[in-house]
Amino acid sequence: MSETVTLTIDGQSVTVPKGTNVLEAARTLGVDISAFCYHPGLPVVAQCRQCLVSVEKNPKLQPSCQQACGEGMVVHTKDAQSTLARKQMLEFTLLNHPVDCPICDKAGECTLQKLYFENDNANSRVDTPKVHKAKAVDLGPTIVLDQERCILCSRCIRTCDEVAGQHQLEFANRGDHEVLTTAPGETLDNPYSLNTVDVCPVGALTAKDFRFTMRAWELESTPSVCNGCATGCNIEIHHKNGRAWRLIPRHNPDVNAYWMCDEGRFTYHDLREHRLAAATVDGLPAGWDRAIKAAADRLAVGRAAGQFAIVLSALHSNEDNFALAKLAQAWGVTQVYVAAKPPVPARADGRLRVGDINPNTAGVKAIAEALGLAVKPVYELDPTVRGFIALGDVLPGIDQGKLKELEYVAITAHERGPVSLAKVGLPACAWAETGGTITNNKGHVQRMHAAVPPPGHAIPAWEIVVRLAQATGAKLSWAHARDVFKDMIAAVPAWSTLTWAREVRPLALRFAGSRG
Amino acid sequence: MSADAQTLRQLVLGQKDVQDLNDTEAELAPELMTVNMGPSHPAMHGTVRIVLTVDGERVVKSDVQPGYLHRCFEKESEYATYTQVFPYTDRLNYVSPMINNVGWAMAVEKLMGLTTRIPKRAEYVRVIVSEISRMSDHLTCVGASAMELGAFGPFLFFLKCREWLYEILETVSGARLTHTYVRVGGVNKDLPDGFHARLAHTLDQIEKVMVEVEAMLNNNKIFRDRMAGIGAMTKEQAIATGCVGPIARACGVDYDVRKDYPYSVYPELEFDVPVGTTGDCLDRYLVRIEELKQCIRILRQCMKQIPDGPVMVDDPRVAMPPKVDTYNTIESMIRHFKHIVDGIKVPAGEAYTFVEGGNGELGFYIVADGTGRPYKAYVRSPSFVHLSTASALIHNHLIADIVPIFGMINMIGGECDK
Repeated sequence: MSETVTLTIDGQSVTVPKGTNVLEAARTLGVDISAFCYHPGLPVVAQCRQCLVSVEKNPKLQPSCQQACGEGMVVHTKDAQSTLARKQMLEFTLLNHPVDCPICDKAGECTLQKLYFENDNANSRVDTPKVHKAKAVDLGPTIVLDQERCILCSRCIRTCDEVAGQHQLEFANRGDHEVLTTAPGETLDNPYSLNTVDVCPVGALTAKDFRFTMRAWELESTPSVCNGCATGCNIEIHHKNGRAWRLIPRHNPDVNAYWMCDEGRFTYHDLREHRLAAATVDGLPAGWDRAIKAAADRLAVGRAAGQFAIVLSALHSNEDNFALAKLAQAWGVTQVYVAAKPPVPARADGRLRVGDINPNTAGVKAIAEALGLAVKPVYELDPTVRGFIALGDVLPGIDQGKLKELEYVAITAHERGPVSLAKVGLPACAWAETGGTITNNKGHVQRMHAAVPPPGHAIPAWEIVVRLAQATGAKLSWAHARDVFKDMIAAVPAWSTLTWAREVRPLALRFAGSRG
Repeated sequence: MSADAQTLRQLVLGQKDVQDLNDTEAELAPELMTVNMGPSHPAMHGTVRIVLTVDGERVVKSDVQPGYLHRCFEKESEYATYTQVFPYTDRLNYVSPMINNVGWAMAVEKLMGLTTRIPKRAEYVRVIVSEISRMSDHLTCVGASAMELGAFGPFLFFLKCREWLYEILETVSGARLTHTYVRVGGVNKDLPDGFHARLAHTLDQIEKVMVEVEAMLNNNKIFRDRMAGIGAMTKEQAIATGCVGPIARACGVDYDVRKDYPYSVYPELEFDVPVGTTGDCLDRYLVRIEELKQCIRILRQCMKQIPDGPVMVDDPRVAMPPKVDTYNTIESMIRHFKHIVDGIKVPAGEAYTFVEGGNGELGFYIVADGTGRPYKAYVRSPSFVHLSTASALIHNHLIADIVPIFGMINMIGGECDK
């Protein structure tokens, strides 16, 4: 047990570990001290002066983000002095702020709006013209800056320093001419640049990907996990009307803290691109019944001769892979293959990005091991194989000419790559469209929730496996992903203590208030 | 089933020919009959179904089933900002929507501690529009009930008066029926130019019409026969069942929220509360007629006494900034944005306020959780309480008596079914 200190905030006593700042200690009591520049994941600079509080025996107000808790300290956050300081700081911060709310992407989730409405809500006493600065400054490939909206909190500068490790942003000039900018000739271009947009308390930094697309307060949020690589950053899918509009990181101290990479943020585009919306047989659309029967028939010859393979996918969830592995068992197959995207070693940076760009490599391995199935990469596919089922849309190392000759049944969300050569294509839900779990490179089994409906006739991949099994007489039956999960944790010893968390309903950001 | 009924059943089944029947058998069976009145019946107010068990023309049992106009007012309110609830309250008692507006606003103001800070002029404006609404409520109730008893003239006369009042409220709020005029902290906008002259003229006209209508109804033998002694309730019954407003007052219960729990500027106004003695339909009619006269009296006083000044409290938590500021200053822009998108922030707590509605005590109960939307909203709608007495009131009356009883209960579907 580390050392603790006990102090009094607004008359309530609180005990916190030594070194905790007053602002965090107050938050544990439910006292939310207003602040712009303080971010729990970034170094403290006490720059915005919005979090000033009075500390007894101290003649001047103290920034609560920088003030470490001391034993016996008595802090007041609601006394006249600090209330006035908050109001005056807000009046000051708004002095040169443009009247942009109706056209600002941050409106509705803006910290400045929130703090002004809650703490000040008074008219300005100054009527001098506002200082104008540059608008729509192109900072780099992902971000546009509006210098007028910037309140100079330096969160973005610290984010670049700490999260990306690259000092690409800086303040220039002094006083009310001070602006955020890049150094001459530099651009804001790093793999974690969009975290600056999340931390920006106002609409100064906006993502080119999201700006002018959707109103923040009209979105709904569903928690999920990024499927971009093996790190498995926790995310929120922000969606509306059955369509994902952006991904933002969700705090998880064990995996990604407050951050995620830009590449991961853009993976939602893939939910709407090259989707297989209806089953296909020999390249032509077919109904589910005919497609399942065709798949069973095409595979029957190879299965009878033992010249048959099952290919799991490191791109699909644990449940999908477990279902297919159980089918392999039911069909008497003892050796399965795994399809995965080839690693990108250049991507690994010792931060969040890793070389393995498959979200579930560890999960597939654990499942195959637990079920006693030998695993080989798919490029080692036995040359005698005449037919196979493959999960996912990647089959690296398999020659296209060879693929044409095989009875290839694809269970896939996307129609691209090898899928165009499949004899039977069965449309599956993508990661954001069905509940499930994936296992990251540290072995965390993390839950994803369905956020948007699947396109066309797509259904979850495990359900396709069930239909296929039943068409071939194999005894597999699950009614819900939760049932697959239950059987799975019973089969995989390392996962035996896991629980299927409650289903999460989308949170309307409108009802969440301005989260700032 | 009686022996006679058994016999008849056999006849119907064709075991005897009609000419074989004796006189007794040929009479109607002494069986009870079940008929539906409503849900959509031309002589019924609102959409309500009554399953009647009748012995000939006499009602022996009735099952009153409201709910056809349920719009989830209370649940919907949890998803609307406090300001967005005003349009929903318009649709409660849609014959006197202004009073509902005022009731809701007062409940929110109580939570925010604004009750004593509402500008005087705003309070007077609220009373003026409330009393106009009360008049339109009573005019409709009396006029429609008379029509259902065959007197079509009073209906046309009173609806003409109501139309004048609607036109006046239209000049105030912009809408004939669903005004959404009152706001938390005051009212949306000030009264229009020439309002007083117009209202004074209309009140004079209405007084003339009322003389005519009273002449047509008060000593009309048919009207009196159909109303007097019908649907009577004792004072004790009225209190026990929670009746309020004109119905309770007709029974001799001297209770009017405006007098007994004075709110707004009613203490500054002089008016009488009419109280009946018999508690039957005729007394309910007479109480409403007298209340119409008292409304006119209140309105004339208001026009004399209304002070100049703002109609909205000067509190940025609830007052929308002027448009010119919204477009030109960031402070007002943010406040406007927050009022619209997040709603006014009401501190956590709970409050119940009640006003004298057209049909009696209309209460709003709100549980606030500190956000811009109610955690829970409840409306104590007088129509709902009054309707619960309907079954007892029509018991042992003739089917034809249901019409005046229901007319005088004045159930308003939107308010009863919420």
